[in-house]
Amino acid sequence: MDDRSFILANLHLHAVLPRLADLVRLDEEARSIASKMNLSVRFRVLRGPSQVMAIREGTVEASDDPSAPAELGLLFASCDQLNRMFMQKLAVPLPYKRIDKLIQMRQFGRLTEIMTRYLRPSDRDLEDPAFKKKFVEMTLQTGLAGAAQVAKYDRKVEHAVELLPHGSIQFSVLPDGPFAFVEVDPDKKIRSGSGKIDSPSANLDINGVDVAADLLADRLDQFAALGGGDLRATGLLPLIDEFNALLDRVGKFLA
Amino acid sequence: MSLYSFDKSKEMFLRATRVIPTGISGNKNPAFAIPGAFPYFAERGEGCRYWDVDGNEYIDFLCGFGPMVLGFGYQKVDDAYDAQRRLGSAFNHPTPRTVELAEKLVELIPCADWAAFGRNGSDVTTYAIQAAREKTQRRKIIVARGAYHGSHAWCTPGHGGLIEEDKRHILAFTWNDATELEDLVKKHRGDVAGVMLTPHHHPAFGEQILPGPSFWSDVRRICDEHGLVLICDDIRDGFRLHMRGSGEYFGFVPDMMCFCKAIANGYSVSAIVGKEELKAAASKVFFTGTYYTAAADLAAAIATLDELQEVSAIDQMMKMGKLLCEGLVKRGEAHGLQAKVTGPPTIPFLSFANERDFRRSQRFSAECARRGVLFHPHHNWFLMYAHREADIQQALDVADEAFGLVRKEFGS
Repeated sequence: MDDRSFILANLHLHAVLPRLADLVRLDEEARSIASKMNLSVRFRVLRGPSQVMAIREGTVEASDDPSAPAELGLLFASCDQLNRMFMQKLAVPLPYKRIDKLIQMRQFGRLTEIMTRYLRPSDRDLEDPAFKKKFVEMTLQTGLAGAAQVAKYDRKVEHAVELLPHGSIQFSVLPDGPFAFVEVDPDKKIRSGSGKIDSPSANLDINGVDVAADLLADRLDQFAALGGGDLRATGLLPLIDEFNALLDRVGKFLA
Repeated sequence: MSLYSFDKSKEMFLRATRVIPTGISGNKNPAFAIPGAFPYFAERGEGCRYWDVDGNEYIDFLCGFGPMVLGFGYQKVDDAYDAQRRLGSAFNHPTPRTVELAEKLVELIPCADWAAFGRNGSDVTTYAIQAAREKTQRRKIIVARGAYHGSHAWCTPGHGGLIEEDKRHILAFTWNDATELEDLVKKHRGDVAGVMLTPHHHPAFGEQILPGPSFWSDVRRICDEHGLVLICDDIRDGFRLHMRGSGEYFGFVPDMMCFCKAIANGYSVSAIVGKEELKAAASKVFFTGTYYTAAADLAAAIATLDELQEVSAIDQMMKMGKLLCEGLVKRGEAHGLQAKVTGPPTIPFLSFANERDFRRSQRFSAECARRGVLFHPHHNWFLMYAHREADIQQALDVADEAFGLVRKEFGS
């Protein structure tokens, strides 16, 4: 497997797939589907990364713990095969363990279809402000979670990771969200989540959902936006700057 | 006093963003300072003061990020520039000004047996590492972690447009840690061409650190023992600490030195000087640029160096710098704040000992800018010869007011 394929597989498993938890919170149809499911499934690449998704009573939990229990297993022969599935190309994994649970993968597939609509929206979908806000939240969370993966595996950001100071960033789409955060440990471990945190080391305020959407779609001149007031960065600016290099790479991989 | 507004700066910035990526590129982009509470565009300067496009007047402690060393509109320098400009500047050939400035630097700087000129700092830092690689036939260059040596691909702090290989042969160690440096050299034995260091450590977004008592002698020894070229990037410190280069101030002799900023009082000249034994290697590097021989700028550099010596400008800047630094600490303390000034008096930087996120610094600098004093929150400051005691006192009074507001917001 090449580096790119391996990193992309980690992004799919650890940044994209866990967004199902956000999806069932944000989307009514997804919540309704999930409420009827009772499934834990491990996505595993042979000699590669894995992720367990557990869907029960309308909630979704992700776990990258290799010992996390899962009823059903889906084994992919390679990162490429897994990536093909995420890119909606033909890729048939090998099921193992509770194969009777395979039936629920149909509903699981429907959930991923809805999620894809948010993560790869059409121009028409984005005309709806409510949809756009959800797109921003899902994409922002994907980026933040993905940053942890590129920090671990992408040699191109080695320099940024070396210079990444420890601390936390509060991301706020003004005036009323979404809000998200990342925390960087002194040993460069990165954790992200949604909502507000106390006393962040740095703040990135984004002036509205439209600006956030442009930012996440890599359509924004960020320095122009900072000078013009559409973005406002305060506090530990090197943390925002170096972290931004990671976010940028996530976008490039998932584009 | 009424506080400054920056409406015209913002309008101009909006215009700029329509036709220039980022609006203002690099370290002069508002994002590096305090967007909305700092001027974006300047209009004119005089002495140690300048005016922005809104007509706001500032006592300048950033000095154009270093080049303004004598002052804005300094007659002798501007006259020298104008005289050469009238004769012509960009010829098919260099003018005698190139040779005269090289002779001047060779006379001034202890390690200088030769000199060459570019336009910006990056021109000469890149040339220096190429010459070191040519001399040693090795690949790696060691720098201090967090140091700034320019905007070329091998040293830029930016992220865009780079490939992994750009920095593959650049290694970093912790400033003042000679043991770490030596370990790094040993780890890459036979592959390290040189060490590039600033005379003192002045990272952006960080306190400045002076060299420890044995640091420079240790660095010199390590370079000598392992056959490395010691390159001093004296671009920020040069001619603000010692007229013979900052090696004289801190007590070391490098193999090559890079200058820019203060060398020409705002005109565009950078210089590299080096020892005789590096001259042949330097001559093998193709080093040129359309304006590297621009004579008017070189004439300004000669006049600047002459004048800095003539008026003992560094002594004056040191005196004013000490007054400023001591005053800031004292006034900060009076407000119960842990204001701390690091770096040499002519290149100071204020931070607050009880924070690492710059929020107090950002508020302090914003309030000072609104009141006509330009202190940068994230980058070291500079003194210039034109600063006089009255300017320092005025700046301290403004700082006092800003400290009061910081205290009110943050407590201590």
